[in-house]
Amino acid sequence: MALDSIKNYLFSKYLAWITRPSRVNKHLSSSLPSRQEPGPVDWRKIRAAALQLEFKLFKTPLDYVDEMHRLTARAANEGARLVVFPEYNNLQLLGLLPGIEKMEESSGEKEGAGAKSGEADVSLPDLFRYMSPVVQPLVHTLFSELARAYALYIMAGSYTLSDQGKLINRAFLYGPSGRLESSQDKVNLLPMEHEWRIKRGKSFSICETPLGKLGFPVCMDATYFETFRTMELSGVDIVLLPIANLEEYNFWLALRGIWPRVQESPLYGVKGALVGSVADFTFTGRAGIFAPLELTVSRDGVLAEVEPCDREAMAVADLDLEALHALRSDHPWRDSNPALYRRYFPHIYRTE
Amino acid sequence: MKVAAISMAAIKLETLAGYRNDLSDFLKSSRPDLAVLPAYSALVLGLGPGAFVPGPDFSATFYIFSADIEGWNEIFLDLHSDLAREHGIYLSAGTTVELDNGSYYHTAYCFGPDGHLCCKQRQTHLDSDERDYDFSRGEELHIFELDGADGKTYKTGLMVGNDARHPEVGRIFAFLGADLILHSGALHAGPNCWAQTAGMWGQVQQNQFFAVEAQLYGNIAGQQFGANSAVLAPCEITPGSSGYLARGYPESPVVEAVLNEKERQRIKKDYPVLDLLNREAYSGMLDLYPGKKNEGA
Repeated sequence: MALDSIKNYLFSKYLAWITRPSRVNKHLSSSLPSRQEPGPVDWRKIRAAALQLEFKLFKTPLDYVDEMHRLTARAANEGARLVVFPEYNNLQLLGLLPGIEKMEESSGEKEGAGAKSGEADVSLPDLFRYMSPVVQPLVHTLFSELARAYALYIMAGSYTLSDQGKLINRAFLYGPSGRLESSQDKVNLLPMEHEWRIKRGKSFSICETPLGKLGFPVCMDATYFETFRTMELSGVDIVLLPIANLEEYNFWLALRGIWPRVQESPLYGVKGALVGSVADFTFTGRAGIFAPLELTVSRDGVLAEVEPCDREAMAVADLDLEALHALRSDHPWRDSNPALYRRYFPHIYRTE
Repeated sequence: MKVAAISMAAIKLETLAGYRNDLSDFLKSSRPDLAVLPAYSALVLGLGPGAFVPGPDFSATFYIFSADIEGWNEIFLDLHSDLAREHGIYLSAGTTVELDNGSYYHTAYCFGPDGHLCCKQRQTHLDSDERDYDFSRGEELHIFELDGADGKTYKTGLMVGNDARHPEVGRIFAFLGADLILHSGALHAGPNCWAQTAGMWGQVQQNQFFAVEAQLYGNIAGQQFGANSAVLAPCEITPGSSGYLARGYPESPVVEAVLNEKERQRIKKDYPVLDLLNREAYSGMLDLYPGKKNEGA
């Protein structure tokens, strides 16, 4: 076995050791509150929290655990029953790799997402694959414990993982029992993600919960009305959307996702955002909670939205499912034209 | 290609001749290659010269108008055909009520530079009032080729009223190849800029076509209409990435802009939104719509 392979093998064992579930559990047990029972649910007032995380590279897994715990506790202290983390919530764990900062520096000199990073000639997708066996159990243990301890629904954000040899961008939803309720693979990919050969999801997960029906598509999925229409027609009440927008902040560009989708298909939308810079990537966004115009005081479709587009923040708002259902049952302008759709949709949404 | 959205503000409506003169003056001074009028243009025009007597409210007025529509439509359509020919432009005349085999439709009409009818489009999605009026829904979307003064041919569709709030319409147009949508709208006056953003702006961004949105400014039987007429394009090719090439106030008589098709093609190539849509993932969506299984083909 070549020396590099031995080093590689030993380091992967080391990573698995420092991120092992028993270690995470033990660490959390000293800081988590004693398990709370979920309180009664009032469908007129379901408090949701949208988190905006500022990108940091964590050198140890327990620092990452502490950060996710701190943010969850912050949302729980505000009375949230539902918490939403951002897309690419695994990027911060790349800090566990020694020398990642050097890769960051050199990646700025190369072009394209598929560019090799640093001296080791390793691409970002290679790193995702390498880290996947470590990230998945760590994330599962961490968010399962957090959801259980605080009796929350936590949409833990999305993670680039390897699944049967294929990269996927997968989001996870945990319930107050600590159980993984469902997962969701990103269905519509950015050009960069196509270059990375990420495998697209094929359908959308919908979870029936005491807080209403929840769906959690991923970032680019909100570019298309079809995602939210599918959710609406399936009875979804709240869409939880993790995002990581790779662009300089602009109000109008940022508006092109969840906001118009919530207007087209009446439901609530909770958006968690990753912001900050790594290598030559700059993520911006404004986490927020959105509703149909008719259900917002200012008739602007915004229940809460954080101010900064580049720093940590949190938006909190109460969702009224009874008002949503009343709006849907007697909507002033929503209509449906099945004859029109039958004429065209089979040609548009064809099976390839 | 220069386009104009006309709100009908500041146009005299007391007589047909006055209307014709005012609109002609606009077209002469603005010199667009394409002009778009708002929804209910035929109704507004019929009430002004007294061809129809308004009822106690908008609904009653609309019933009166619809009940005796055919003769008026001939006058309305001939007038706009003449205006298109006279000015050598494409003129989307706004909307009227169309009676066909006992069914009423809310329909838009567009005339070419030689005065011929290039396209008519029935509204496909009705709001609750329109359902109360017993309107029927159009079941087809039509595209016509608009020869721009810039030498480009724009595949163009007409969009009527409430269809702007239904993204299925824009998506179907996009897959029929639409480069340009002409929207005739009429929204109740009030703080409705976000409703407009949720409508045509959202459709333009997720389909990357141009749109000319003409919103009615005026009062019909006590109901005040007013919203912002606009010319829209993908954010990346507009000032401040706003998605607006031009946007007026409700009382702005006309909003104008020049379309740059080369720029639109560039952004479609750089960020091919429709090519990135995972169409297969939505192949079952049709079955989710209410009434889908109960209605005949």
